[in-house]
Amino acid sequence: MGLFSTTSASHPAPKISSDGAPIAPDRTQRAKCWEGRDAYFQCLDKNGIMDSLTEKDKAEKSCAREGRQFEGNCASSWVTYFKKRRVMEYQRNQTLERLRAEGAKEMPGELGPGALGQKP
Amino acid sequence: MSRPLVPSRRLLSTFSQCLKHDKTQSLTSQCRQLTTLRTLSQTCLNIRPVQNGGRSEGPRYFSTSSSRTYKTVQEQRSRYRSGPFSWRAGLLFLSSGAALVFYFRYEKARMERKRVAEATKGVGRPKVGGTFELVDQKGDIFTDGDMKGKYSLVYFGFSHCPDICPEELDKMSQMLDLVAAHPSASSKPPLLPIFITCDPARDTPAVLAAYLSEFHPSLIGLTGTWDQIKDVCKKYRVYFSTPSNVKKGEDYLVDHSIYFYLMDPEGDFVEAIGRQHSPEQAAGIILGHVGDWKRK
Repeated sequence: MGLFSTTSASHPAPKISSDGAPIAPDRTQRAKCWEGRDAYFQCLDKNGIMDSLTEKDKAEKSCAREGRQFEGNCASSWVTYFKKRRVMEYQRNQTLERLRAEGAKEMPGELGPGALGQKP
Repeated sequence: MSRPLVPSRRLLSTFSQCLKHDKTQSLTSQCRQLTTLRTLSQTCLNIRPVQNGGRSEGPRYFSTSSSRTYKTVQEQRSRYRSGPFSWRAGLLFLSSGAALVFYFRYEKARMERKRVAEATKGVGRPKVGGTFELVDQKGDIFTDGDMKGKYSLVYFGFSHCPDICPEELDKMSQMLDLVAAHPSASSKPPLLPIFITCDPARDTPAVLAAYLSEFHPSLIGLTGTWDQIKDVCKKYRVYFSTPSNVKKGEDYLVDHSIYFYLMDPEGDFVEAIGRQHSPEQAAGIILGHVGDWKRK
């Protein structure tokens, strides 16, 4: 999806497996990354910022510390993904609410939070 | 409504006794004059003790049509009052009704599962799955032939996946434990959990081994060349977007479909399990299909 970017300098280089490929983040690394993400998004919420990619300067000014923590614990592709997903989920919820307000009926078997048209 | 109808047979026989055996003409005419069953029964019943008293000399007053005789008037009266209904009959009625309802529900669910399972069988059906040859996390060759004779749960993902794959793999582990813990599990074809990577450039067998070791021990991780992966994804109708020419050390994400594919022992697609299913629901779906297979 065109999320190519170089690995963040602050993010520790991944371990290399026996056949020379970088090992994916393990459970503890993932948990740490998610923690950083949640703290960052909490800060964005507090400052009324939804899209930290388009409102980059504002986010940088208000949540610099949380932002660095977030980027330090996650691969940069994950950072971009989470930031985009936050916006996407917000828009989806807005759409659902608007539809509900218009009196749309919910179909049985509603799709889960990570359903169609989402990143992995 | 049915109450006066059922004891009428017995009453009639008593009535016929009155007519046949009583030497006194007055009684016969008395019986004939009766119009309603209720008064008939009362009159005839009142007469019986007199008949019994004279049993030793006279002809025996047995009813030929009635198999049951009552020792006392009270017994017969109470039997008349309760009619054909007793707690035993009621219980039988209720239990057979409940059993029928249960059976029909069960059969309906089974037919529904059969419909889902056979939607992909036969000619002219969309084909999901097919032949492939990949490498597992130990470096051994794994083909679709290794899936034959077992139900398998196939998931496509990649180890550098930010959140959904690890969540789904944890869910898969729960599903596997739930299915294995089911009392009937040992007698059924075993369930083979398979993880196929959509990111063959980074997911080498060693990377998959390290990644999957944090999930379920029975998970089989498969990888291959980009073309092999592209081929198997196409056969499973899985959409993914790994760039084919990734440079070493590059950081990227893979966009892919996120469904579990339940495949039957013949290698045919049965049902897809998605994000909306809880591990319990998913295990229920799997156990339902696996249970059906045994009967075939």
